[in-house]
Amino acid sequence: MEAAKSIVRIRGVHKYFTRGSEQVDVLKDLSLDVPEGEFLGLMGPSGSGKTTLLNLIAGLDRPSEGEVWVGGQLISRMSEGRLARWRTRHIGFVFQFYHLLPVLTAYENVELPLLLLPLSGAERKRQVLTALELVGLENRMRHRPGQLSGGQQQRVGIARAIVTDPTLIVADEPTGDLDAKSAEEILDLLGELRRSLEKTILLVTHDARAARRADRVVHLEKGQLVENEDADEDVRMA
Amino acid sequence: MKFCLLIVKNLRRNVLRTLLTALGTMVLVFVVTLVWSILFFLDEVTREKSHNLKAIVTERWQIPSQMPFAYAQTLCEGAARQPGDARPTDSATWQFFAGTLDPAKRAAEDFIVAFAMEPRKLATMMDELEDLKGAQAAELQDNIHRMELQKSAILMGRDRLAKINKRVGDTITLHGINYRDINLECEIVGSFPPGRYDANTVINRDYLNDALDDYARKHNGKQHAMTSKTLNLVWLKIPDKETFSKIAQQITTSPLYASPAVKCETLSSGVTSFLESYRDLLWGMRWVLCPAILVTLSLVISNAISISVRERRMELAVLKVLGFRPFQLLLLVLGEALLIGVASGLISALATWYVVNEVMGGMKFPIAFFPSFFIPANAIGWGLGIGALTALIGSAMPAWSARTVQVSDVFSKVT
Repeated sequence: MEAAKSIVRIRGVHKYFTRGSEQVDVLKDLSLDVPEGEFLGLMGPSGSGKTTLLNLIAGLDRPSEGEVWVGGQLISRMSEGRLARWRTRHIGFVFQFYHLLPVLTAYENVELPLLLLPLSGAERKRQVLTALELVGLENRMRHRPGQLSGGQQQRVGIARAIVTDPTLIVADEPTGDLDAKSAEEILDLLGELRRSLEKTILLVTHDARAARRADRVVHLEKGQLVENEDADEDVRMA
Repeated sequence: MKFCLLIVKNLRRNVLRTLLTALGTMVLVFVVTLVWSILFFLDEVTREKSHNLKAIVTERWQIPSQMPFAYAQTLCEGAARQPGDARPTDSATWQFFAGTLDPAKRAAEDFIVAFAMEPRKLATMMDELEDLKGAQAAELQDNIHRMELQKSAILMGRDRLAKINKRVGDTITLHGINYRDINLECEIVGSFPPGRYDANTVINRDYLNDALDDYARKHNGKQHAMTSKTLNLVWLKIPDKETFSKIAQQITTSPLYASPAVKCETLSSGVTSFLESYRDLLWGMRWVLCPAILVTLSLVISNAISISVRERRMELAVLKVLGFRPFQLLLLVLGEALLIGVASGLISALATWYVVNEVMGGMKFPIAFFPSFFIPANAIGWGLGIGALTALIGSAMPAWSARTVQVSDVFSKVT
């Protein structure tokens, strides 16, 4: 069977921060491949470096050493400005606390990333409506976040993440602020999007139920990856 | 346009704060507009012109001037003696008659200072009256004609009329204060168009001069004490500075004006000299009051924008994560401040212009012999400029802070 090409390729990444004269290693000689279309779970205890790894994959930070390839592009060598433009087109973010702009409607929140692209108003509208339909919120597009439930707000967040048709969706604890029922609905939605749109999803989570949805789960401990083939085994370990 | 919409919506985040900031801006722009209008007008009248100047001839060593009326004829000709001498294109004389309507009480509201002058000179020598057009010009000509036909006719500004509770058609008696024992019974035949002369009064100079002659007749030929001091000012209209220099030379070297000696200066120089006693006040208005207000305005806007940026650091971090670059975040914040500043400044300037000029009929702030001031059309630009500049200055630091927001804040906090 032909191996799926890797959407994310990390080779020999080191990341350290300097505090005074002390060097703090956050990630050590880390290498990772995420094939196209995979739903990868990323778990680890507090301080293990999950957020740092997330920042590197999402183009929000650069490694101290090593290479980070996403979608065939070496993002670890890009300039700030180019990274920002790249991020808009290739990365879709879903946050734990939704982080919707309260003064904008659901429609306008979803439209936000598209404002940075050279699209006509009609094209933006088409893409926003498509995204809202995919998450089942086309009837709530004129509502502001304050008028939506937690689950609905997260759906808007997901719509915003997919509206630019990104290469990779990064979900940081997407169910962390939701009740059990809403959390299941969100995870179902992510799974459906992955199947129907063939998206690659990186899910950072502490939630065992969420991790169970992943094809594969990797563990981060003290800046190094401990990988498990089977998501269920990892869940049992957690 | 799409960024503008984002800016407008961000201002709706806290409507009360936005409105209060806008209101503070409007009030401060209002004050600066009033002050600058006064300074602008005074700068205009004290600015030396090179063409179509007005010159004033006054007594050299005394204020107020008290020259004999015998000086009038020759001064109005610029003291021209030789055929090639320079002459003014027009001229006018002023005699100040101070009187009261009630000699027993002598209350402030009964006190009137009238300019005694040739009625026809109203239309050719008085600032703004010489520029009237249409119905206002016709009405002025009509009043001039009435004053020429009836020497006892008097013309009054609207504010003056209101103050003494009289109307056009009424008769008043002015009991002389500086012209003791000279009482002038006058009929109010008209009023000045609204504006600069709202507080002024004009009588026919022949009426005053005839009264002085009449005094002598009634007192066995003894002249009234003011007869030799009745001429206070002579206005000359001069085409250019070169002609002014010649006329000034002619007047100051003429043997006709030995006692009292006279001086000839441009109107702007004369006004500057007259404003000398207000120099400190005007300096304070220009260099202390206005800068203090502008600084306060910048701080008001800075405070509001700082709070707004601090409140939504998370949102700004999200925008950065979504791909907004630092300079775009900076522009968003600057845009919010500019929108408040420009809109508030413009509205305030427009409202000030309308209320002061159209509703109040001028800002009553007597400086020297200028009883009131109007807001010039330039003020619209001032309001816009003040609003924009103070918004930019005030929001510079918060906007810079916005672009340095850390994206790590948006990710989950591990518990």
